[in-house]
Amino acid sequence: MTLQSAVYILIMLFLAFVLEHIPVPDMLSWFTPSWVMLVITAMVMFAPAAFGLWIAVPLGLMLDVEHGSLLGLHVLLVGLHVFLLQLLYRRMYLFNVLQQAAVLFLMIMAEQILHYWAVAVMQEGAPPVPLLAPALTTAFLWPWIYVIGYRSLQRLERA
Amino acid sequence: MPPFQGQRVALVAILSLTLMWLDHQYTWLDPVRYGLGYVVAPAQQTAVLPLAVTEWLGENTALRRQLIRENKILSVRNLVLERKAQRMASLEAENLSLRELLSASDQVDDRVLVTSVTAVDPDPYTQQIIIDKGGRDGVFVGQPVLDAHGLLGQVIDVTPFSSRVLMIADSNHAVPVQVNRNGVRAIATGTGALNELELIYVPNTADIKVGDMLVSSGLGKRYPQGYPVATVSSIENVPGESFAAVKAEPTAKLDRSRYLLLVFTDEAARVPPENLWGSAE
Repeated sequence: MTLQSAVYILIMLFLAFVLEHIPVPDMLSWFTPSWVMLVITAMVMFAPAAFGLWIAVPLGLMLDVEHGSLLGLHVLLVGLHVFLLQLLYRRMYLFNVLQQAAVLFLMIMAEQILHYWAVAVMQEGAPPVPLLAPALTTAFLWPWIYVIGYRSLQRLERA
Repeated sequence: MPPFQGQRVALVAILSLTLMWLDHQYTWLDPVRYGLGYVVAPAQQTAVLPLAVTEWLGENTALRRQLIRENKILSVRNLVLERKAQRMASLEAENLSLRELLSASDQVDDRVLVTSVTAVDPDPYTQQIIIDKGGRDGVFVGQPVLDAHGLLGQVIDVTPFSSRVLMIADSNHAVPVQVNRNGVRAIATGTGALNELELIYVPNTADIKVGDMLVSSGLGKRYPQGYPVATVSSIENVPGESFAAVKAEPTAKLDRSRYLLLVFTDEAARVPPENLWGSAE
């Protein structure tokens, strides 16, 4: 991995955290996608050798502070996400973008269910977790992220 | 995939569940959370940058005419408030001397810090907001937050430059209140809707009327006494139920207030002394 692509990834992550914090109107709040998860997906898919399970710890803890959830919750979710991606990314290369989005939809759904279970076990009287809507919007945004990531990867490799 | 990946994932899962348990049961991890606040702060500041820029532009491009008019209105209001404050000073003194007669030494006025709302938590199931004052300004967990009209909520999470406030309308929140007219005590819990609180465990025969002002009673030792919380909007006596269903509307503008007050009371910051028996000497 070159210095250039490392800087590029850091900028993308920073933007993802900015988007995660941006205030949204009440109606849209049901459909807030997990921006950081999208960038993590791109990172693991395009540079599987560099980004493994270890990114779950720093990024998960940062997400926990951002969302005010119990420390460790997002470590668990990001860890599972990375693991599922590592199982599937070779196959996902062969899929077209829409099929990839469908796989991502199922993955985020599974993680939201895990999120709900973890919170329900750990925290009595915890608020419910929206299951379907964030998975839908995240999957919907994936084709754009994929194209941006793929194009910039090509450009970085040519340079 | 690297070797032993399944075992490693299991290890991460166990580690994170342990972290969650520790964070929920004990306060050891609070410094970690506070430190991580520094890491996330740049992104959070950037996210609210457009807001700050539009505010700055609005302030700097306002018309002179508008400013003069606003200034006039404000000075008139100031005059009215000054008049009230003059009476307030004498009333406060009178109140103090009466309290001295009763040998109760309560503070009437509290120290406050002005803050502004920077974000609203996007989670639709909770009613939380984020404010722009944090641990560096002396904000602490459990601190009461007011707006110009009444009680708004309490601080639940502090990072160096911002804090998270749980509003009284959150369904996990409850305030001990009393009716201003006659002192009947009750507990106001949030319903999840911003314009409605519920009074729980109110007997069918309690003297509460529609339009009654509810003020904080200070019995929970969290909120100072005597700040307006809500006005009663409806009372329903359900036959066969032992408690009346009382609904109230918060007086604070939960969805509109931009500027809030953080209250520093002795009550809220008081930590029990380590040696409980020693203080009796």
